[in-house]
Amino acid sequence: MILANNITLSYDNNKNIIENANFNIKPKDFIFISGSSGSGKSTLLKAFYGELYVKSGHLLVNKTDLSKKNYNKLLTLRKDLGIVFQDYKLIKNYTIEDNIMLPLKVHNYDDIICKNQVKKLLKHVKLSHKVGAYPEELSGGEQQRVAVARALAHNPSIIFADEPTGNLDDYSSDVIWKLLKNANEILGITVVVVTHRIPTDLGVKYRRFNIDDGVVYEAS
Amino acid sequence: MKLLKSFLSFTFPLIIMLFIFSIYLLVDKVVDSYKNSIANDYAIVVITNTPFIDIDSLADIKVKDIEALSRTKIIEGVKENLSSSSLDLLNKKLPYFYKIHLEEFPTTRKLAQIKKELKQMTNIKRVETFSTDHNQIYSLLVLIQDIVFILFVVVLALSLLLLSKQIKIWFFEHNERISIIQLHGGSLMYSSKPIVKTIILSAIVSSIVVISLLIVVVNNISFFVQPEIISIMPKIIHLEFEIFQIFLLSFIIPFITFFGLLIQYKSK
Repeated sequence: MILANNITLSYDNNKNIIENANFNIKPKDFIFISGSSGSGKSTLLKAFYGELYVKSGHLLVNKTDLSKKNYNKLLTLRKDLGIVFQDYKLIKNYTIEDNIMLPLKVHNYDDIICKNQVKKLLKHVKLSHKVGAYPEELSGGEQQRVAVARALAHNPSIIFADEPTGNLDDYSSDVIWKLLKNANEILGITVVVVTHRIPTDLGVKYRRFNIDDGVVYEAS
Repeated sequence: MKLLKSFLSFTFPLIIMLFIFSIYLLVDKVVDSYKNSIANDYAIVVITNTPFIDIDSLADIKVKDIEALSRTKIIEGVKENLSSSSLDLLNKKLPYFYKIHLEEFPTTRKLAQIKKELKQMTNIKRVETFSTDHNQIYSLLVLIQDIVFILFVVVLALSLLLLSKQIKIWFFEHNERISIIQLHGGSLMYSSKPIVKTIILSAIVSSIVVISLLIVVVNNISFFVQPEIISIMPKIIHLEFEIFQIFLLSFIIPFITFFGLLIQYKSK
């Protein structure tokens, strides 16, 4: 699913953030990537969905080699990924419904299918009453729940989540962790979460990678 | 209001460019029509020693017809004052006269070339091209045609500059949306849909405005041009092809600009 072979990451060829990392993430894994602030957790996640190219080594995500720059292949890969960003990245002038529909529209799904899927997801994230609202009308927690719903909309093979509960209240955090847990357990989606705070009562078997001084290692 | 302003910033240069183009097309049509009418009236007269003259083209202009002028008319006019022996001699010595009609009216340069080509033929004694008769109006029209074309090229360059600036502004305005859609696997073309829609709308609006203006100008031509020009203009101007060209150009120019910038954006 994700295979990193001696990968080194850096921004604009400056100081290496991650050095010679080797790991393997298998289908249906639930992965936590943790480390101190600035350790490179988000940088590693960006490399997984091709927002940052690897400086050296080989990184395979769903058999797509991300060490080679290929725009079309990258877009094809991204269509099969669900991404939850720390800053939500919702489109401001789209309604909540349109935002969740986005990955489905990219896949050219029919309008009726899109609307039905959005309806179901809004029910799961407990925001059915906000269907026509715009992101600015929602709280941070609600926006992040919409972002999770959007990441789940097209039933991706992997979900990447960057600090999904970083600044959220307990209620929103609970909803999000439950959604990610169900996605992994029920739908068999591989989940990779970057966080500095792993929930204690998640109730799911997970693997944990730690980043320390540019070195990625699997913690027991 | 902001939306309208940004729409007009794109549509206005497009309208100006298309309007200059439509004027160029109109002038071109008038010049062509004048060319045809004078080509029909115009003929080169040649005097030959032998009765045979066979020419397909002159200075790359096809010869439409070679008309032999009647010699008997000339002889009829002078035969009363001549003896029968002088009449026989005149019959033998009188050269042959031909009118050469061309497919199109030649330019001054072509006319000089035609004269040169004809004079090189051994059986031709004399060539008369009557070059000054039509040339003045024709040259003036060609000059106007060239000026309008240069004006069109200048306006086209300026319009391209303004259109590309506005598209760049739109890309900047939509930058966040475009990057979010791309993160979800949408192509740059897919994420630029609102820009494409605005360009299509702008092209339709500007072509409607310019085509309407052109129709108004053509139907009220006496108000816009001097009577001397009207006399040489074709009586009924069919504009179907010109309308099609304007409509086509209203899409081609903005989309060339858009795709140029799209490639530039993609390479970033």
